Amino acid sequence: MSKRSPSLFQRHRPSWSAPVELLSFGLYFLCAVLLVLSRVGHGALQDARDELVDLSAPFLELASVPAIEVRRAMDRARLYVRVHRDAVAEVDRLAKENEELKQWRWRTQLLERKVAHLRKLLHAAEEPALVYATGQVIADARGPFVRSALVNLGRNDGLRIGYAVINGDGLVGRTIEAGDNIARVLLLNDLNSRIPVLVGPRAARGLALGDNSAELQLGFLQDGAGVSPGDEVYTSGSDGVFPRGLRLGVVVGEPGEYRIRPFAELDSLDAVSVLFFDAPALKRTDPEGLADRGGALSATPDPELEEDRTAGGPQVPLAPVAAISPPMASQAQTDQ
Amino acid sequence: MTRFLPAFSILIAVIATAAPWGLPADATFILPLLVVMMVFCWRALPGTELHPAAAAILGLLADLLSGGPLGFWALMCLIAATVGLKPGSFRERRNLWKQWLTWTALISVLGLFGWLLASLYYLRWIDWWPILLGVVASIVIFPFVLYGLLWVWTGHIGHSRRTLFRRAS
Repeated sequence: MSKRSPSLFQRHRPSWSAPVELLSFGLYFLCAVLLVLSRVGHGALQDARDELVDLSAPFLELASVPAIEVRRAMDRARLYVRVHRDAVAEVDRLAKENEELKQWRWRTQLLERKVAHLRKLLHAAEEPALVYATGQVIADARGPFVRSALVNLGRNDGLRIGYAVINGDGLVGRTIEAGDNIARVLLLNDLNSRIPVLVGPRAARGLALGDNSAELQLGFLQDGAGVSPGDEVYTSGSDGVFPRGLRLGVVVGEPGEYRIRPFAELDSLDAVSVLFFDAPALKRTDPEGLADRGGALSATPDPELEEDRTAGGPQVPLAPVAAISPPMASQAQTDQ
Repeated sequence: MTRFLPAFSILIAVIATAAPWGLPADATFILPLLVVMMVFCWRALPGTELHPAAAAILGLLADLLSGGPLGFWALMCLIAATVGLKPGSFRERRNLWKQWLTWTALISVLGLFGWLLASLYYLRWIDWWPILLGVVASIVIFPFVLYGLLWVWTGHIGHSRRTLFRRAS
């Protein structure tokens, strides 16, 4: 009698399948619990998360190198193609732009002198200079839930939660998590991002609302605010978190459905600067016990550390930011 | 070492997913779905070992790096690991269509589930376009990923020489 093939009569079922099924069920349950705890915003979970992200910083930094190089190579190739396609026109354009910039520089210097003279006449108090640290975006963490980025600056660099983050083009977002060596930046276009802004030459008040798309919604405008496409949008500072006058974007779209196109290219962030602007509202965001540690959350960073910060990385034009800002604390109080 | 190759390759993919590639805002859902796809494919390939717990842990790492709620990508990877075994092994290399169809069905459901879950999380309807784009892109690139992983695992995409000789005899 021939031996029957086992595959016909025996279903391949490993002996350990029952524990695996039980484990799978447990894992599904664990995922559901973690989702609920994340929604609730459990403190312990958040702390553990910060620690783990901090631990992963070296790997992320390593992984970001090829990504950044690939992106830069693509940018260079694009520029190379553009220049070689129409070299004469490109040179003409750059020459024209250079002339315009020279005129702007002259006008800026004139205005700076004028402002300094007027301030002297008014005996205005000197504004504190904004200190900043420049870092590199090492992870572009985006998905259906968040639009965020990780930068290689942390509490050891004097960072704290709620600081404004900018690049050469304008405002990028604010820090929402800060580990020892790494911080998460909530981008402007994130669903949770809400920034009070001033729009156009009439400084109409509004709110820049992120909705996970490339552009932001412009909401809560007053009736007859006199906003039109092309108007510049900048931070009002009325939230007590951002300094007043940070460039944010430009108004686009139709009346009633205005949107804001950010100046900063949020999809391809490279070097960013964190502004050490310690508004009173930020003190509430400090985790308990951190104040006792000293140094890390210091509102006035160490001068030596400050020199290190400003020395490294690309220069970010911060002078206009400080120049635009009126006395910030008094402005915030007035707005409130 | 080869025993840990599936988990290791997915770990690399999770870290690469977080790298700043400069993708446009609408295309941000594609890379995380690649991780889920790899979990599905590794489970389908014969002779490989990827425990559901490992898939869930790697998904959890993706959650950590993405900044989203913990458990979302872990859940996605876990579902992919569970469903990955269902269409049968990819041993014969002839059932690509079956695998592809299963992946299409799975990712469509996962996309819808993810959109509903994200909407529930924020208590508002979130933008569905990036998710749809990610789902369609993942369906298109599925055979490339499947055969790519097969090549990583076996060193060849088609039938092995031994199999060919056996068939000829």
